[in-house]
Amino acid sequence: MTTLITTAGEVSEPGIQTRSFITRNVRKVTLSNGLTVLLKEMHHQPVVATMLWYRVGSRNEELGQTGKSHFLEHMLFKGTDRYKKGEIDLLTHLNGGSNNAFTWLDFTAYYFTFASDRWEAALEIEANRMRSTTFAEEEFESEKLVVEEELRIGLDGPWEALENEVWATAFRQHPYHWPTVGWIEDLEAASASDMKAYYDKWYHPRNAILVIVGDFESTEVLERVEELFGGIPPGPAASPLGIVEPPQRGEKRLTVKKQTPVERLLISYHAPQVAHPDSYVLKVIETILATGKASRLYQRLLEHDQSVTKADASYNDHIDPSLFYLQAELKPGFKLPDVERAMLEEVDRLKRSDLSEAEIDRAKRQIEASLVFGSEEALQQSMLLGQYETISYGEHVPTESRGFHYLDYLLERIDAVTSEQIAMVAKAYFTEDNRTVGYLIDQKNADETEHGRAA
Amino acid sequence: MQHSQKRVMHPKLDVERVELSNGLVLLLSENHSIPSVSINAIVQAGSRFEDDNKAGLASLVGSLLDAGTETRTSQQIAETIEAVGGQLGTYGNYQSSGVMVRALSQDTVLGLDVTSDLIMNPNFPEAKVREHVDRRIAQIKSRLDVPRTQASDVFNEIVYEGSPQHRPSIGYEGTVKTLTRANVEQFYRRFYVPQITKVAIAGDFDKNLVKGLVEATLGTWKAPGDFDIPEVRRPVRQTSPIFESVNAPKEQVNVIMGHLGIERSNPDYYALLVMDTILGSSPGFTSRIPRVLRDEQGLAYTTFSNITSSAALDPGRFIAYIGTAPENLERAVSGLRKEIARIVEGGVTEEELETAKLYLTGSFVFRFQRNSQIAEFLLEAEIYGLGFDFLERYPQLIREVSVEDVWRVTQKYIDPDNLTTVVVGPLEETGRQVA
Repeated sequence: MTTLITTAGEVSEPGIQTRSFITRNVRKVTLSNGLTVLLKEMHHQPVVATMLWYRVGSRNEELGQTGKSHFLEHMLFKGTDRYKKGEIDLLTHLNGGSNNAFTWLDFTAYYFTFASDRWEAALEIEANRMRSTTFAEEEFESEKLVVEEELRIGLDGPWEALENEVWATAFRQHPYHWPTVGWIEDLEAASASDMKAYYDKWYHPRNAILVIVGDFESTEVLERVEELFGGIPPGPAASPLGIVEPPQRGEKRLTVKKQTPVERLLISYHAPQVAHPDSYVLKVIETILATGKASRLYQRLLEHDQSVTKADASYNDHIDPSLFYLQAELKPGFKLPDVERAMLEEVDRLKRSDLSEAEIDRAKRQIEASLVFGSEEALQQSMLLGQYETISYGEHVPTESRGFHYLDYLLERIDAVTSEQIAMVAKAYFTEDNRTVGYLIDQKNADETEHGRAA
Repeated sequence: MQHSQKRVMHPKLDVERVELSNGLVLLLSENHSIPSVSINAIVQAGSRFEDDNKAGLASLVGSLLDAGTETRTSQQIAETIEAVGGQLGTYGNYQSSGVMVRALSQDTVLGLDVTSDLIMNPNFPEAKVREHVDRRIAQIKSRLDVPRTQASDVFNEIVYEGSPQHRPSIGYEGTVKTLTRANVEQFYRRFYVPQITKVAIAGDFDKNLVKGLVEATLGTWKAPGDFDIPEVRRPVRQTSPIFESVNAPKEQVNVIMGHLGIERSNPDYYALLVMDTILGSSPGFTSRIPRVLRDEQGLAYTTFSNITSSAALDPGRFIAYIGTAPENLERAVSGLRKEIARIVEGGVTEEELETAKLYLTGSFVFRFQRNSQIAEFLLEAEIYGLGFDFLERYPQLIREVSVEDVWRVTQKYIDPDNLTTVVVGPLEETGRQVA
């Protein structure tokens, strides 16, 4: 069996910096059909988390057919040649486990957690549904209604409404333009055969990463993986996306009206992809701005100005360049332009290179600790390993940071960030031309104002 | 399909319980797998002890615990804990208030120092009280943005009528704006006492070191001699159906139906836990409500029911929830009602029972993966008298439940003829009526 394995087990070498306990003892194996397998034994809890990642998300969709990746995720629970609808959940349930799946811009991922004496059902299910999902017409139609309800929950959320509009405005060409759930009109038009074609295009060993973390024995498990997945044909090679968002030339502004008692503000800037040298600096900036009550936005907007009830900054790693953004929920009586000005002042202060060592150190410790806090469970570790194995790839990623090895160097790169770099990166990205600003305003107030003007 | 009886995987917990001379209870469990600790200090006082006209007071006091102490300003508190990457939260909810800290194990001592300072020495600066009151008024308004929360608030007002639980813990705009520093101070003095304080610590630390530290800090906190626990008014389960609808401009209608539930100490809790799993609480879509309403009829993304998850010191609520498109409202409401009536009238099958028990016993291990979960369990075991051997006893408690037990408890605790139904959504636009 093991003769079919092309790459020998590769344990993180002791020579390279492995400051991350998450990557310690991770073994990476590639089957001859291209399936990447990451194994990490962890015996302190009698549980095993199994994840299967596919490198396909809304990034791989086309206009008019948005939301397919996410819909497809739903269909993988709706029956295969071996498990009829509901049986995957029932099997999980009988074994006291849990399962779920999620789709985002760059990926679709499925997971199971089970007690370690009964976890291999997860492997059997994933191996089967990789190629044998049935797409029965009646299941497709009833699940379409479920997905539409999921989309409606999003439409009722004021933040979702504003975020969707900001991404759609900031990205003109790149598929980050549309939300992962898709546009409702596209969903309504989708057919079971479209879905099957999309599945046939993307769900193959060559485009998948299997991650197993927990209380198991690697040699035995590798044999089982080979038995179950080894015979599946590799599938077509994915061609590179080849869509590049051109630089933004001038500020973009937008307004969303919704009946809401709370006005909201979102300021976004185009920002680089995963493992870009500046991405580490932006992670430190994100933390300085908005993690904890000592952070700059909290101190300025909640403590000093007392103009908002919430202020946040976020920046996530993606395959392609994405957005860094700042958000706030206003207290009644405060004005969006005033809060926007205050936030921009805080952003501009970062350009002065006068941050204290203590403030930068605090952000670094926060990033480090949150990685520890967020890795207590086998499932959390498999999420991190799988996410970076999936997104940290391609020629623009430095060789040593490719795949899960990204996590080996993450803390080292964070630790190396200086106040000069913070100022430089802030000056480079936080510019007016690179900015998209969204306001969410109350429909009622807006209507009254319109009325007032007309009268 | 495999479902042989397998052995149940036990999480192993080594627990030490120490009662200090002032009555404070310390619960310790070492777990060295990850270099971090969770500290969870609770005072068993919350909005169940406040008056209607002071609604929101307990929650305000809890949120102000890190607004300043006798030796530190709010900013110093934040900087102290955040400088080592720690995370701090303070809160006041319905039955308890307190401080939660997460820190790397090397910072355990600092975490304990901050926790005891916040519990023993908060000084509630006047400016901070005003700032928090203002912020809370804005937060109360924003509850209208979440239709599920709005539906739940309306439901609680009806079902918990006559008990303090009818109010949202955050309070009302009208009551919160009248709260003063004197109110805060008074609530703190009256209820934050060692006799009803419990501190749970789980993670990578040394028990002996921590015991000594807690003795030297929280151990010196003086226990007032005249402390008594106030009576809390109990709600009465309704004896007629109630319907309430609220028009809101949303894409979905949110429906909550149900009535008063049970206390955690109720001996029928385990039979009801099995019933919950069969009717509407299993993850995935194996239980009846999600299977029928979501998987078969495609009416919703989210639909579920439960009675045990809200069981606490005071009775919780039995609820069934669905969020659906306005045109499906009637089908959704009648579908939920039908499933509730069906389990009461027809009971459950042996197969459903066995499936639910396998799930409950097999999944128990997942409740002890994180230090914060372990700390929370220690407090639950202490408050509800579960015993720290609960981990060993739990599988037996579940296995003992029979089809007849489920039948008996559904008759006793679920009343399909007398449900409160609350609907929030775009009702005028569709002109739909639900009787």
